[in-house]
Amino acid sequence: MDTRKPELGWLDDPEVFRVNELPAHSDHRFYETEDDFVNGKDSLYQSLNGTWHFFWSKNAASRPVNFYREDFDLSGFETISVPCHMEIAGYDRIHYINTMYPWEGHKYRRPAYSLENFRAQPGQFSQAEYNPVGSYRTEFDLEKGLLGKRVCISFEGVEQAMYVWLNGYFIGYGEDSFTPSDFDLTPYIREKNNVLAVEVHKRSTAAYLEDQDFFRFSGIFRNVTLYAKPDIHVEDLWARPVLREDGKTGELGIALRLSEKVGEKQPGLKGCQVSVVLRDRQGGTVFKKTVPALEKISLEPEILPDVKAWEHKHPYLYQLEVRILAGDGQVVEIVPYEIGFRRIVLEDGIMKLNGRRLIINGVNRHEWNARTGRVVSETDLLSDIACFHENNINSVRTCHYPNQIPWYGLCDREGIYVMAETNLESHGSWQKMNQVEPSWNVPGSVPQWKEAVVDRMRSNFETFKNHVSILFWSLGNESYARDNIQAMQEYLEEKKDGRLIHYESVFHNRAYEDVISDMESRMYASPREVREYLENSGKKPFILCEYMHDMGNSLGGLKSYMDLLDEFEQYQGGFIWDFIDQALFVKDEVTGREVLRYGGDFDDRPSDYEFSGNGILFADRTPKPAIEEVKYYYGLYR
Amino acid sequence: MDYTDKQQSENLKNGDGKLGVVFGDVVLGVHGEGFEYLFSYAAGGMVSLVTKGREWLYRAPMPTFWRATTDNDRGSKFSFHSSMWLGADLFLKTERIKVWLDGEDMDPFLAPDNNRFGGEQEARELRVAFSYTAATVPKAQVEVSYTVKQDGKIQVDVHYCGKKGLPELPVFGMRFIMPTKADGFRYFGLSGETYPDRMAGGIKGEWEIEGLPVTPYLVPQDCGVHMDTDWLEIQRSSVLANERRALGQREKDKRFSLGFEKVDVPFSFSCLPYTAEELENATHQEELPPARRTVVCILGAVRGVGGIDSWGSDVEEPWHIDGEKDIRFSFAIVPVWDQD
Repeated sequence: MDTRKPELGWLDDPEVFRVNELPAHSDHRFYETEDDFVNGKDSLYQSLNGTWHFFWSKNAASRPVNFYREDFDLSGFETISVPCHMEIAGYDRIHYINTMYPWEGHKYRRPAYSLENFRAQPGQFSQAEYNPVGSYRTEFDLEKGLLGKRVCISFEGVEQAMYVWLNGYFIGYGEDSFTPSDFDLTPYIREKNNVLAVEVHKRSTAAYLEDQDFFRFSGIFRNVTLYAKPDIHVEDLWARPVLREDGKTGELGIALRLSEKVGEKQPGLKGCQVSVVLRDRQGGTVFKKTVPALEKISLEPEILPDVKAWEHKHPYLYQLEVRILAGDGQVVEIVPYEIGFRRIVLEDGIMKLNGRRLIINGVNRHEWNARTGRVVSETDLLSDIACFHENNINSVRTCHYPNQIPWYGLCDREGIYVMAETNLESHGSWQKMNQVEPSWNVPGSVPQWKEAVVDRMRSNFETFKNHVSILFWSLGNESYARDNIQAMQEYLEEKKDGRLIHYESVFHNRAYEDVISDMESRMYASPREVREYLENSGKKPFILCEYMHDMGNSLGGLKSYMDLLDEFEQYQGGFIWDFIDQALFVKDEVTGREVLRYGGDFDDRPSDYEFSGNGILFADRTPKPAIEEVKYYYGLYR
Repeated sequence: MDYTDKQQSENLKNGDGKLGVVFGDVVLGVHGEGFEYLFSYAAGGMVSLVTKGREWLYRAPMPTFWRATTDNDRGSKFSFHSSMWLGADLFLKTERIKVWLDGEDMDPFLAPDNNRFGGEQEARELRVAFSYTAATVPKAQVEVSYTVKQDGKIQVDVHYCGKKGLPELPVFGMRFIMPTKADGFRYFGLSGETYPDRMAGGIKGEWEIEGLPVTPYLVPQDCGVHMDTDWLEIQRSSVLANERRALGQREKDKRFSLGFEKVDVPFSFSCLPYTAEELENATHQEELPPARRTVVCILGAVRGVGGIDSWGSDVEEPWHIDGEKDIRFSFAIVPVWDQD
């Protein structure tokens, strides 16, 4: 494959899901000077959010092919906000659907290689009559702090497949809508008048893996940011705090991957040093170390005799500061990261946090705003966390995709336990008419689909691995269980990061239960079914990754589940389905009033109608009456 | 408060005056100081409840059997299995009316037998009982009796006669439709919106609700139930009476109230601007008609809302309402005198 030449066929090929993307890396911020660090000044970052040129095409064949060229005539283009879903901007139809693939009944499709008579499917998406394309273009000058440095770009969320060009040169291709896609722009970037072009395709083979029960949007829906790397840059940081059994001795191992600017007058890594400092909340130094700078650094675990543990009620964080120092002692780069010490283990078949049995008083949370869809603001995040505290919610499952980066840091600081789910849901490929019917199923055991899902797991892990709040990795949601899901589990096991691994769907294929998921996870099992499992098995601790389906006027009978906590040590709680109704504000065509609309209200068919409204909050974030019950029972089992 | 109202209230507080009972040809009337109630043989119920000159009834209160389908009711096919009760809720037949004065059975009292009274009757207590047949298969029977005391208080005793073969009930209670939309209500009971399987979080106390909020579920459905209530007071300021409306703003600002009280055990209620059928018909909040009445349901049996899932699992067993078993409940309607 020629990675310099974009091919439309990549949309049809499950084996192509990232081209020229930088490896997934930790989500650390970085600063060039002490001054910027102290003042939180992001001199090395430049946001490209804003108004972009835009052209919508119904399919690839009718898209403006040459729009990435600098001399392209943009007179036919309109404008769009970045970030924003194309559908909410008024291009293409808003569509809500649950398990069915969105083309159900419109188009006969099977994933490539999923059946004997369905091998490669060239043209399935690239030549589809309906597969909209958004052609995005923006122009920018580099801000001062980025000049003369290596410059990269990060797309934090683009649904579902995109091709990127800068100044007429092809940069790369990416899928996986919910993890950052970073590209190096250095070879082509200039000081002024840069032309960035992004071609977003609504569907690709990724569509089979992103069949989440939600509104099906497309477009650039999260931040687009340029960042400049100092001459020596921490590409990746993996801080591995460990809390020993005694509950107060800490260990801190640190792994770093550094890069250097290559050039004639560049001194490079040679002679540079890396200083590492750990500070407590008062700013006191807990430990300090300086080592020579190398491309890969792995610091042996430092023993810290008396650390404060991190947990829901006392989310104590330490600040780790990594500094790259030039030979003359000058600071080249500063990377701060808030870390915490906690111990999540499986002991006697029970999940224990810091030595005590863990109880999950959780909710599933989709990113949602009734005006902007999955484009959520900092205000939304803060309001959601406040609501968690108000109602004694201690855990969140990022259903069913990685969330915006700031969410995880917020959970670290606020003591919210996170089940960090990977962007994977393929229930349309094995749940048909409410029956388990995996005659064709992806990722399944189809070799051509393996790398795509392992990469999704990798991106989730690598991006968020430093967050103390993440107690569980979740391999995805409702994607059945075969070899490729097992491969995701194996990827994580190799990392040995101490967290527990969650996957529910293995319940539907018990042949894999010894190799997938550290816990027995179920959804919507009745209290009686939970009891039956716990009375007869006991192999694994039990959680409900989804329960108490709060659709409309619901959430009755929570007590029956809470009682199980008293009855069975191995029952460790669950995540209510779910946090917020997914519905959209629309101006009523009759009264002109602003009203909330759901699936089917946009002439979208087939649809699952109001099935997206299951929150303990209404779509406008006002609480449903049932939240009183959540607050009461979750308060009893804090 | 104007002069006549004040005078009236003072007279009323001692409650010495006997009830005047009028055996009409179509309507049985009863009045005391500051109140007048009319029971219609034709309508099969109480058609007028006037305290301090204000009408509280738009149509005769009737037993209610239906709640607007919740998402869980729909998913579990509960509404399918119990749909008979929707018809029962809409169409009810009056079978029999009985009247007692001070415990004495007044039968026969319909025309022409009422000629024997020769004039208004006096009593310390009037009891009027209606028997209804519901349009179910088999047919269900309900007895509703109103006992009016000298102070204007009305005790309502409701008896649903369970019958083998009847499906589970969505709800059972008495529905009062008031002529205009209330300004709000106060009650002593649980905070929020509670159901038998979702009431642990409710805090017992006195609560005041402005307006008649309909919980804005995406698809309108049963809502606004309050369990475990000691008393309820509905507050209105608008009337349909043209001559009062002609008095303009001065009259408009006045609030007047009607109370409901527990008899022995607390009751459940909802107070909304819509009937179950109006809610049932809407697929969105904006499809609900303009709110113009007050629909108070005093409930003797409330079905839980469930929550295991919304596509098949039923509400847990203890929170079902068995149609084959009797349901009895009582409450009192209480005039509120000392207001304004």
